[in-house]
Amino acid sequence: MKRVTPYIFLFILMALPAWAQESPYFATYDHHLEEPGNLEVETQSNAGFPRHGEPSYFAPYLELEYGVNTRWTSELYLEGQSRSGDSTIFTGWRLENRFRPLAAEHRINPVLYFEYENINEASRIQKEAPGHATEFDTPNSESRHIRAHELEAKLILSSDVHDWNISENFIAEKNLSHNEGIEFGYAFGVSRPLGTIASAANCHFCRENFIAGAELFGGVGSTHAFGFQDTAHYFAPALSWRVSDNSSLRFSPAIGLTSKSAAVLLRFGYSYEIRGFKDKLAGLFRSKPW
Amino acid sequence: MKKVRMRLRFRNIVWFAASAFLAVIAAGQNLAYRQDPNWQPPQSAVVRSNPLAQNAMAEGGGRKLFLRECSECHGQEGSGRKRAADLLLPEVQKQSDGALFWKITNGNARHGMPSFSRLPELERWQLVLYLRQLPVSASSALPAQKE
Repeated sequence: MKRVTPYIFLFILMALPAWAQESPYFATYDHHLEEPGNLEVETQSNAGFPRHGEPSYFAPYLELEYGVNTRWTSELYLEGQSRSGDSTIFTGWRLENRFRPLAAEHRINPVLYFEYENINEASRIQKEAPGHATEFDTPNSESRHIRAHELEAKLILSSDVHDWNISENFIAEKNLSHNEGIEFGYAFGVSRPLGTIASAANCHFCRENFIAGAELFGGVGSTHAFGFQDTAHYFAPALSWRVSDNSSLRFSPAIGLTSKSAAVLLRFGYSYEIRGFKDKLAGLFRSKPW
Repeated sequence: MKKVRMRLRFRNIVWFAASAFLAVIAAGQNLAYRQDPNWQPPQSAVVRSNPLAQNAMAEGGGRKLFLRECSECHGQEGSGRKRAADLLLPEVQKQSDGALFWKITNGNARHGMPSFSRLPELERWQLVLYLRQLPVSASSALPAQKE
């Protein structure tokens, strides 16, 4: 319990400033992109409790998500990590882009995802778990010096069926710094709002403000060794709560399904959406009529 | 005689106020946009009717959704801004419930209107219900606009 208390405290601290209904997924992407001109600022954290007595860790990250246009969303991640009994370090950054090739809604809506990662081996945000499971026993002082320049691509397929969202992500990742082959992974998610009709009142705890779901994600090896051996897989129920018109909180405990997975991941996030960010920014640089 | 003068003065004030109100609306309208002729819902969508049409209670929720999801571009009164269409125009209001629902659901990616399929289906119908409560602009002389 002593080991868990600081993490619970950190979660509460991060929740304090919290105030756009977000999908409850942490690892899975659906086809809904950020609205054009809006900026979403999101902080998320991943607290991992590995098996075999390895030290637990806490990996927060900041995400800036901008809607470039109706079919293109761009995101920047800045991430860190803190290990129990070890140091707290900055673990790198990621730049991600998502494109919708088809304009209108279809039964299955594809989205193409491309990401560049400039991180080190101490990274533990676990946005996905492709390839083989990583070891958690290397101290930060060593792992921070092992750089990883990675390219990641995802095929996102997502459908909205009678208020249910069903999403499937197929992942391929290539570490340009080390010869690990191309690693493969997956993430599947299902979610649904608890209320499907909006009440006239401005309420915080109405059912319409909550979306519940679950996701399953993991790795399927690499081109060197394809298959489920030594891979990590997680099942995670998830809940999203719209706290106000432009902010939401999310929580999801992920349960490790294999001996190579961490026993539990506690994932927590809140997001704040700045609507009309582009116009507001442009307004700052507009000349004043004197 | 005094009564007649009073009536005339009152009538002038009413005319002035009404003209000023219309001038403000006209000034706030977005005349730069034209309706996108390629943004047409399929016939199967056009003929759909609003399942909440008889549910007067649902309109309040529609207004809340409109202010949250639409007002950034369409303005709080729906009269449009630089980026989006004036929803009060007859060209918008004459469209069927099904057509408006389809447009909210699919968006118009080529002209910056996002898809709102992430909202539950009934909430999108609530938006249609609310759009129907907006006052229709009398100015049919205005050019047709992009929705």
